[in-house]
Amino acid sequence: MSPMSATECLLQMCDERFELEDYQSGVPRWCTGCGDNAILAAVQRLCRDEGLRPEKTVFVSGIGCSSRFPHYMRTYGFHGIHGRALPIAEGVKMARPDLTVFVNTGDGDCCSIGAAHWIHAIRYNMNLTVFLHDNQIYGLTKKQASPTSPVGTRTNTTPRGSYLEALNPLTVTLGVQNVSFVAQAVDWAPELLYDIVKAAYHHKGLSFVRIVQRCPEWMPKLLDPWLHDPGRVQLLHHRNGLLPGAGSVKVYTNQLEHDPSDINRAREIASNTQVVPVGILYRNPEVPCYEDLIGSDKLRTADVTRAGLNAELDKHTVWPRESHA
Amino acid sequence: MDAASQAHVAFFLTGSRPTDHLEAVEGLGLRPAVLSGYRELAGLRYDFPLVLVANRPDGPLVQSLSGLMDEALAATTGDVHGERVRQHGLRIEREIRARVSNGATGLLSALWDEAASRLESGAEPSFGDSLRRVRTAITVDGEVADCDAALPARLLRHAWSAVQAKKAAAFRRHLDRLVLKLSDILRADFERSKAGRDASHLKASVGTGFGDAFDFDAMSHVLATTARTDAFPEARRQRIRHLLAVLTAQRFFASPDAYTFIFNSCGDALEAFRGRLPALVDLARAIAVAELEIDGQYSELRHDALFEQFGANGLDPQDLAAFPGYLVCVNAGQLPAAEHARLMEILSSGLPIKILLQIDDILEESPDGQGALTAGMRNRQIASMTIGLSDVYVLQSSSSNLYRFREHLLGGLTYRGPALFSVFSGASGAASGLPPYLVAAAAMESRAFPAFAYDPAAGTNWAARFCLEANPQRDLDWPIQGFAYEDEQHQRVSEELAFTVVDFVASDRRYARHLARVPRAQWNGNLVPVDESLSRERKGLPDTVPSLLMVDDHNTLHKVIVDERLIREARRCREMWHSLQELGGIHNSHAEALLARERRAWEEHAQPEAEAHAPPAPTAAAAGAVVMGTPAPQEPDRSPGEAYIETVRCSTCNECTTINGKMFAYNNNKQAYIADVTAGTYAQLVEAAESCQVAVIHPGTPRNPQEPGLDELLKRAAPFL
Repeated sequence: MSPMSATECLLQMCDERFELEDYQSGVPRWCTGCGDNAILAAVQRLCRDEGLRPEKTVFVSGIGCSSRFPHYMRTYGFHGIHGRALPIAEGVKMARPDLTVFVNTGDGDCCSIGAAHWIHAIRYNMNLTVFLHDNQIYGLTKKQASPTSPVGTRTNTTPRGSYLEALNPLTVTLGVQNVSFVAQAVDWAPELLYDIVKAAYHHKGLSFVRIVQRCPEWMPKLLDPWLHDPGRVQLLHHRNGLLPGAGSVKVYTNQLEHDPSDINRAREIASNTQVVPVGILYRNPEVPCYEDLIGSDKLRTADVTRAGLNAELDKHTVWPRESHA
Repeated sequence: MDAASQAHVAFFLTGSRPTDHLEAVEGLGLRPAVLSGYRELAGLRYDFPLVLVANRPDGPLVQSLSGLMDEALAATTGDVHGERVRQHGLRIEREIRARVSNGATGLLSALWDEAASRLESGAEPSFGDSLRRVRTAITVDGEVADCDAALPARLLRHAWSAVQAKKAAAFRRHLDRLVLKLSDILRADFERSKAGRDASHLKASVGTGFGDAFDFDAMSHVLATTARTDAFPEARRQRIRHLLAVLTAQRFFASPDAYTFIFNSCGDALEAFRGRLPALVDLARAIAVAELEIDGQYSELRHDALFEQFGANGLDPQDLAAFPGYLVCVNAGQLPAAEHARLMEILSSGLPIKILLQIDDILEESPDGQGALTAGMRNRQIASMTIGLSDVYVLQSSSSNLYRFREHLLGGLTYRGPALFSVFSGASGAASGLPPYLVAAAAMESRAFPAFAYDPAAGTNWAARFCLEANPQRDLDWPIQGFAYEDEQHQRVSEELAFTVVDFVASDRRYARHLARVPRAQWNGNLVPVDESLSRERKGLPDTVPSLLMVDDHNTLHKVIVDERLIREARRCREMWHSLQELGGIHNSHAEALLARERRAWEEHAQPEAEAHAPPAPTAAAAGAVVMGTPAPQEPDRSPGEAYIETVRCSTCNECTTINGKMFAYNNNKQAYIADVTAGTYAQLVEAAESCQVAVIHPGTPRNPQEPGLDELLKRAAPFL
């Protein structure tokens, strides 16, 4: 990395320093004990530690418990429509590449109604950081099965238990062309959650982080076997991947060295349902970003915009027929 | 010792040729034997001539004619006509090369047309078809340059212009963006002003189509009474106007009256740089302030004082990197002392000035003919000396090697600080009837002018910065070439000959007096090759005499002996080559001494032990050791029975803070800790421990023995203690 020039140092010398409170907005209306709170705390901590300017940061969400996220961040936010968080975020990034764009989406929002957008967002690989808050249930609408609900889950829509195997968001993402960053975290390991969120933020391209999240209201016992047995959390570590803190290493002794450049091994690890792999499964910084591929250096002056609009409108203009002599 | 051998030794020691045993070489037109196959360069396919590509801004800047033809032939010779097209393509390549070596210049397209029209007359009918096919496959065009005295400056100017064009385009884009954004700020300010909300201005902004559809007076009135009119301060407006003036008046890039950045004198370049420095600092400051203004971050309170002294110490290399570099082309043979001092001033000052130091002659003799053989040594050693400055990009190369060094050439031009390109053109060979390419290549081959590049930006040590790879057989003192000839019995004889600096000097007619031809009848075992002679240490009267194999214009083999003065020169040249080898990590004396010491130590101690004990199997812990990112937090000292939270494991679920917001609080990372254990009851501590999703609350023992229901609470608290 080349050192900063004196001018760059000068420009940063007067940068404002932010505290956690500068990113907090209102009291979250999530249930007490909800894993969304842990994600919120980790992301606010990331914003503070990275010095992200609130007016240059955007959180985009769809619909669901997780999608209330932008309301609790004192930054720009866009609480979008169901399943459409990703295309909105892509539009924001395309128009304003200078902004840092995060996406908060749930298992229903992303993996059901928004599944098509999810797959193509991965393929487009725009520079976004996507958090999939996966509590394996529709919580906001009071317990309906989501695509990631385990088979046999009794809900309002599946009173005899769900019939289908749960969709695995990690293996799906790892199967899409142009995937560039896939990680998994759990809300009950805050130190690891923060480390993974930070690594995702620093990746250039679409960083997809699935966060396995408790829903104490509708699925209170679902994750207990993993929560109470640290051995079922498989800590992925590697010199080129996650370097977990000593506290995490001490608690999570089921550890696996995994090189995040190995996509086939990543797919194998992601398919293991006996343990929850936590860490960076795959990272490839060489995948090009869509905005870089099609971005134009041409300045959008008022004249350029006007000419472009006129050209587009002229395509559909019905011109009066010239009178015949 | 017989009379002939005595004469040989006498010549070796004194340089005097007894006529009855030795012959003069003047007039024989001798050249080193290994150069016998390079008489007609135009008939050979090699790197030259070059095409200085002008129509591919994102492609290679320079290509060899033979490389271009190879690509074109590969693309066109896939069918049944392939061999015919290949033959015809190579014929026109040879014709172009011959024309260029005879002095023809111009674009490749023009030279192609001239060569084609000459060859087509009288050629077979399919010739035109072949040429059309090959020509279609060649998509690049540009000036064709042969390896001559003009090549170094032409090539460097061409590469420099391409690098500057890219830099200028990026700078222009940046500048245009700043100007547009600053203008937008002023425009927005105007739109919110009284004049901007005036009815006539509103009407003009709607256009003519719907001019009658609105009541602009009413609209103006409404805007004047309801919309905010917080125009920004006049000082800011003035500042932005000043920034716009500086940005639009700059003369560094793509400006109608832009500065010149190519010079033929170090003094002129230095003077120009210093004269333009205030304008440069102003522009750099304007760009920095404009960025802050556009971002809405400029604060007079904080930034005025900072930028007032901006550039007082000049600009650092990173800041200067965005601006044009300077190119100076000078010839070492015409460098007055003052200019030499300016050259060293530039190189030691860290300024972004690139200098081409062209050396046409590295064998010019000192006027008095005494001392070291080559007065040109001073010029050819400037590059080696400049490496000592540490932060200068240094490239030394013969012009014959410039094409292969093109990436290093670009490296120097894009390097942020000063760069020195020391290039031997080979032009001095003309006096000896040798083409510049051959002289330049021989200089590099013979270690007289080794090629190297020193890039300070490539790393922090010599291994990363210094590159010696271009030199042939760089592990050896002298490169070894195969040589075959026909003897008196018409039998083929093959030998391996070292090409030394003596071979290089021997090809220059000015040094013929240091050579003497030995008649065939006197060839004997006392005449040893120069490299062998150099490897022997003479302690008394020499019993052997160094000799060379050379050929005359008819390719007849001759053996010539050389005097000691040339051998002394060769020794000096070899020592300098050894120094470069060490810098390049070849036969590094420190490394070899260290290796020898370690080997001795291993043989004395470690080897017996290693043989006595089988290697231990790696432990499981060592095999799977985790590389940790952060150390474990220090565990605070706690008294027995004290309530606490494992704060780093808290998942911020709000359970405990909801139970008692005074007893439980969040820290800076929004993770819970016990803020005041006296602010609540033991019952609340137990309840919080039970509610905690990740079981990180430990309630300890009760502080108040009178608290009701304590027995029950202690039972509930037991799992969390």
